[in-house]
Amino acid sequence: MTAFAELAAATNFSFLHGASHPCDMVAAALELGHCGIGIADRNTVAGVVQAHVALRDAVAEAGQPIDFKLIVGARLVFADGTPDIIAYPATRRGWGRLTRLLTTGNLRVEKGGCHLELGDLVEHRHDLLLIVMPGPCDGLRPLVDAARGNIWLAASMLRGGRDRRQLRDRIEQAAAMRLPLIAVNDALYAGPGQRRLHDILTCIREKRTVQTAGRLLASNGERHLKSPAEMARLFADAPDAIAQTQRLLARIGFTLDDLRYEYPHEPVPAGYTPQHWLETLTLTKAAERWPGGIPPRLSTLLADEFAIIERQNYAAYFLTVHDIVAFAQGEGILCQGRGSAANSAVCFVLGITAVDPLKNNLLFSRFISEERKEPPDIDVDFEHERREEVMQYIYRRYGRERAGIAATVIHYRPRSAVREVGKALGLSEDVTTRLTSTVWGSFADTIERQRFAETGFDPDSPEIARLGEFVGQILKFPRHLSQHVGGFVLTQDRLDETVPIHNAAMADRTFIEWDKDDIDALGLMKVDVLALGMLSCIRKAFALIATHIGTHYTLDNVPDDAPDVYDMLCKGDSIGVFQIESRAQINMLPRLRPREFYDLVIQVAIVRPGPIQGDMVHPYLRRRQGHEAHDFPAPAPPHDPDELRSVLGKTLGIPLFQEQAMKLAIVAADFTPSEANLLRRAMATFRNVGAMDQFETKMVGGMVARGYDEAFARRCYQQIEGFGSYGFPESHALAFARLVWVSSYLKCRYPAIFAAALLNAQPMGFYAPAQIVGDVCNHGVDVRPIDINASDWDNSLERAADGGFALRLGLRQIDGFREVWARLIAASRPFDSIEALARRAALPQHALRLLADADACRSIGLDRREALWEVRRTPGDVLPLFAAAQARELGIEPAADLPQMRPAEHVAADYQTHRLSLKAHPMQFLRGMFEREGVASSAATAAAKDGRRIKTAGIVLVRQRPGKGNAIFITLEDETGITNVVIWARLFERYRRAIMASRLMLVEGELQRSPEGVIHLMATRIHDRSAELGRLSDTHDAMPDTTRGDEDLHPDYPRTHGHPRSVRVMPRSRDFH
Amino acid sequence: MLPSENVIRAAGYAPPETPFALVEKRRGAVCIAAADARALALGIGPGLTLADARARLPELAAIDHDPVADHALLEWLADGCDRYSPMVATDGAQGIILDITGCVHPFGDEAGLVGDAQRRFNRQGITSALALADTPDAALALAANGDGRSAVAALPVTALRVDPETHLALRRAGLKTIGDLAGRPRGPLAARFGTAMPVLLSRLLGEEDVRITPRRTPPEVQVEARFAEPVTHAEIALATLDRLMRDAATILSDRGRGGRRFEAALFRSDGHIARLGVNSGQPTRDAAIIARLFRERIDALSDPLNPGFGYDLIRLTVPVTEPLIAQQLELEGGGVTDAELAALIDRLSTRLGRGRVRRFAVGDSHIPEQTAFELPVAEPGSPSIWPQRETDEPPLRPLHLFDPPQRIDVTAEVPDGPPRRFRWRRTLHEVTHAEGPERIAAEWWKRRNGKGLTRDYYRIEDMRGRRFWVFRHGLYGVEKPMPDWYLHGLFA
Repeated sequence: MTAFAELAAATNFSFLHGASHPCDMVAAALELGHCGIGIADRNTVAGVVQAHVALRDAVAEAGQPIDFKLIVGARLVFADGTPDIIAYPATRRGWGRLTRLLTTGNLRVEKGGCHLELGDLVEHRHDLLLIVMPGPCDGLRPLVDAARGNIWLAASMLRGGRDRRQLRDRIEQAAAMRLPLIAVNDALYAGPGQRRLHDILTCIREKRTVQTAGRLLASNGERHLKSPAEMARLFADAPDAIAQTQRLLARIGFTLDDLRYEYPHEPVPAGYTPQHWLETLTLTKAAERWPGGIPPRLSTLLADEFAIIERQNYAAYFLTVHDIVAFAQGEGILCQGRGSAANSAVCFVLGITAVDPLKNNLLFSRFISEERKEPPDIDVDFEHERREEVMQYIYRRYGRERAGIAATVIHYRPRSAVREVGKALGLSEDVTTRLTSTVWGSFADTIERQRFAETGFDPDSPEIARLGEFVGQILKFPRHLSQHVGGFVLTQDRLDETVPIHNAAMADRTFIEWDKDDIDALGLMKVDVLALGMLSCIRKAFALIATHIGTHYTLDNVPDDAPDVYDMLCKGDSIGVFQIESRAQINMLPRLRPREFYDLVIQVAIVRPGPIQGDMVHPYLRRRQGHEAHDFPAPAPPHDPDELRSVLGKTLGIPLFQEQAMKLAIVAADFTPSEANLLRRAMATFRNVGAMDQFETKMVGGMVARGYDEAFARRCYQQIEGFGSYGFPESHALAFARLVWVSSYLKCRYPAIFAAALLNAQPMGFYAPAQIVGDVCNHGVDVRPIDINASDWDNSLERAADGGFALRLGLRQIDGFREVWARLIAASRPFDSIEALARRAALPQHALRLLADADACRSIGLDRREALWEVRRTPGDVLPLFAAAQARELGIEPAADLPQMRPAEHVAADYQTHRLSLKAHPMQFLRGMFEREGVASSAATAAAKDGRRIKTAGIVLVRQRPGKGNAIFITLEDETGITNVVIWARLFERYRRAIMASRLMLVEGELQRSPEGVIHLMATRIHDRSAELGRLSDTHDAMPDTTRGDEDLHPDYPRTHGHPRSVRVMPRSRDFH
Repeated sequence: MLPSENVIRAAGYAPPETPFALVEKRRGAVCIAAADARALALGIGPGLTLADARARLPELAAIDHDPVADHALLEWLADGCDRYSPMVATDGAQGIILDITGCVHPFGDEAGLVGDAQRRFNRQGITSALALADTPDAALALAANGDGRSAVAALPVTALRVDPETHLALRRAGLKTIGDLAGRPRGPLAARFGTAMPVLLSRLLGEEDVRITPRRTPPEVQVEARFAEPVTHAEIALATLDRLMRDAATILSDRGRGGRRFEAALFRSDGHIARLGVNSGQPTRDAAIIARLFRERIDALSDPLNPGFGYDLIRLTVPVTEPLIAQQLELEGGGVTDAELAALIDRLSTRLGRGRVRRFAVGDSHIPEQTAFELPVAEPGSPSIWPQRETDEPPLRPLHLFDPPQRIDVTAEVPDGPPRRFRWRRTLHEVTHAEGPERIAAEWWKRRNGKGLTRDYYRIEDMRGRRFWVFRHGLYGVEKPMPDWYLHGLFA
């Protein structure tokens, strides 16, 4: 049989050109009996790691070496008219030339794209094997002369009508240029079936519909991988061109496994080895911290950890992380490490984390698996407002050619897929918008028939059927590369000789074109530099406490023993607290009743898809409350009946953390560590569905064979499934629990300060400002309205009558207001009239209107209506130079005597201008109407008996559909409190529109009260009463925000389009200022 | 007048059985521009997307919005209003204003006039709201916002013709009706809402009067000849027409314009008017060309021009003109051919009818029979750019195609070899040369099942040197067990 390898295979990382995943290309080539494949995407190597992993997995699956060679490179597309040239590195050095060549091209353009010219290739040609694709070869002379021996001319037989004649011409041309000819099929997809998908991709690329694209589409579907026999038949006139594929393949000595990683040396002073320096640094810091001598237990721990770190050669990694953290601490930026390696005594001593391993009995070895050979993992969270400083420091210190952010591959999601495929099929935008608008976010990975039916379209019509078909195929296709949120790859050698670098959309950012999985697969090292809003909030709270009270807190000196704080948490009073403020968490608090730090760790980890899907929550609670014995599932003899005690001891015999589930697979189901890791990876990516079934069989079968109860085994497996997508390892939970504690402490002891800090750190957390302010009011704090004579930009503190603190809302709460204006106002206070405000603060008219409409002029005796009336005649933008000349230019007017504004109008206006009102709750004004309808208030609902049928109505705060989506949780708010509503999925299908669209919802249902006093309304009917909000005012639009938690409803909104909270579910009325 | 009524009138006063809406494309979405009374009553109004509206009212019919036709209807109604007053103006897309000062006596009083107008509108099936007031502004506001009888003071501030921002600001100040504004000093209002606002308020309140500007639609060029003695000879009439054309050409030339349409009206003394119109494909002011077009037109009349009692007035108007810059003739006369071709096309179109003179346009498709189609020559459309044939390459496709392709019997190598011999019209052809295949796949999106057969085209030559274009219909063994063959074209 003929030996042939397709060496011009593109994947879907040739965005909108290729129509198959890299793994599918490799699989198809194996299937067809090729002896190898060359993956070359357009000016990128973004897809090659996936191909590499696909082959590696195939070899692992076969259990023996396969006679198949994957070569990786890139198809260079030039901007100067040179025909495309495919470049394959023959050696590691050649790979470096290729990635530098691509980097050069990438960095020439601002964003997206790669500008290459032939001269660049001539310069970087060494150790590259080149295939010149069909096209005019006139200008190639310099390259041919320079790289002779490494160049092939490609010929293809694509059924264009004159293939044979062109092949003859190409043979002559090759002879004239003294170059060998090589046969390619220029494959864009794996099999002939993908032609139609390729047409759709072409339409998306060309922004045409399939009906009008005409000759932009390929005339036929020949560009798939073809069998060696078929290729030999097509190239019967040039058999040597087929043979040349073997010759090229044989000359490649490079695989991606040759990429060797080395840590940067910067953090290590001359004369030290990294290990030596790490030990010296740690012990010095420890000596500073414990001047009376390092506690013996700590010394032992440190010695153990040093040993592991030395064996694994991780010292440089710890030093690199320490270097970044030390910079942040020097700049006063709060930070905290998490991740598998972060909870170590070394990290604690170095200040990377604030979790004390001595107090919490942590074992470093629990988090580092030596046999797994996985790189250690430390993610560091920084204050979200100041993370950029840290990132720029990293670039400064290591240089752009050695530091880069990992890429995130942006995939097609249901929404974008429906929109773009719909457009390509010629469906109008309103149709696709409707189809996507009612898709419940990520739970619609498949577009269900019912969705179509609900939107009034016939799912069987050919257009819709076609849409469904293509959307199914294009989902999970990469769409473009973007930068990861903060995963840095740092190297000692030039990073651009390992992977190409791109300019990011954000100024001053560069990123590499491999994502997290690729980096893991190749064993590169990454440090996650993440942004965390709560750290900003905590720093601001610390600063306010230092200013107003004089106590100086840091993350590790907040007292960790305060019963009143645990009391507060036990009541479920946790709005604003890190991580445990969601509705599900608040409901869990009274059940779990945390009394010590490790309880908080469990609290953080338990309300997660893993434990919930694995049905581990209730058994844990029963054991904790003493209703159930703490027994451990045991295997049959001869196995050690206590084998799970070491795995599950701390969590009362119930697996709650990701590591426990993995460990379970190893201990109880005889997985090898690498198998367990494969399992986790398969879960996380959901790529290989077939393999998942095998894992399930192996895990459940393995556990049953060992004598475990099958139901328990199945639950463990389901839990791993849940962890796959939303894993929560113990080490993360530990780090987060520390921030839970610090924020709970602040909330309990300094409620006004904590609220001010929360508001000043927005956007962050789960709740909108209205709920934060409402909560702090309920805690007896005096909250004062925005006022030109009292408010700064930030929310601030004022002395209250009782000697405590009152919270003064800041000007930042006003939508559209700017910080500079706030500074001008603060600098020229006090004011006694609008004119004085306009003149002395030199505010533009727009700012004046915002202030007036926010009702911030009460201290000069004007309500918003009077203030607006006055503002309208006040010229803004007065230049200071002319201010004196214009003094008191406005004449005295007769009293305007405008009609009084109704309180309801004021509240609506408050909501529109700053999204909260201190005057009243919008529901208060509708109460009379609702009472006549027999609608109960939240307070009345909460007081009702278990099992009573009741009607209630309120503003929708949160909509969530956790886990498998069997139930939807909605929180309603009215002037008396909140009501938690549960809607079963079956009801949801009936009331979908009302549930999705309501801002004011009326729910009929049955009240359920749990033994712990948690109250739910089980809905039977839903009504959308949003229109009633229009009754409040005809001049302002009172559309209260849903909370950030409501983003679950729209997880598909691209995060780059502003904060999800600012995406209003209902359109704003036309509004002018 | 509702825009929907144009549709109802056009459909012979029989509206669709279901509620309907007029739709237009706005930023990619199909939106409702207007809806009929039934749809409006169901809450479906302008601005809603069609898909949303259909979700509420699945049976809603959608018809393309045609603002031009609506405007034509409004103009036609305004023409009809000439009977009440010479001072007629249109306002926006839906309003007509009449100044009836001194015009009411034929109807008794003002109310009589309004009643008569209302009756006439009703007869035409036009929904109308009529209002009488001292000023045009007040009348328009009352007709648009009120029931026509209530007082101006009760109207909402939106009746004031200022921008929506000011409406909102007024309402935010708690001033919701015109009455709320009426008693206020104007100075503070002007200080806040601009000086134009109190003026508009005064007009609305009738404190300041303005006249309307009557609409006039004079043709751009109009020349006429009046005869004291009616002209009874057609030849003289035509000669007069020729003279008028020269006059019109002079005027057009002075203005640097050319006419696209010319209309002649020959007024017979007994009241009959013969109207003739000709169009030209390009702007022109060449009197000879226009005269020739008119002759063609007159020759094509089914009943010839009959002067009868004689014409007392002949008028030539040029209602449509376009800029036409004087053209310099090229020395070698090259530029003239275009003009001559255009003139020929005009003559042929005038004589044979617009649809009869056609040109080829490029079709953008891989499917050979869809690469070209015909269009009326006068039809506007982007000029076709024909694919350039590569130099030194024989043509891939023949000039002549069979429609439909003709079935042939072929002996060929499987799976995709060229034909060896084939039988066409009972003649056997031995193939000596062949090139191909050029593989053209079916346009799957046009087929319900998304499939369709691929064609493999071959250019072949037989022993006698005749060249054919044949194709195999379907991929052997993949799409069809035994594909059929067709002869699709002949090379010259």
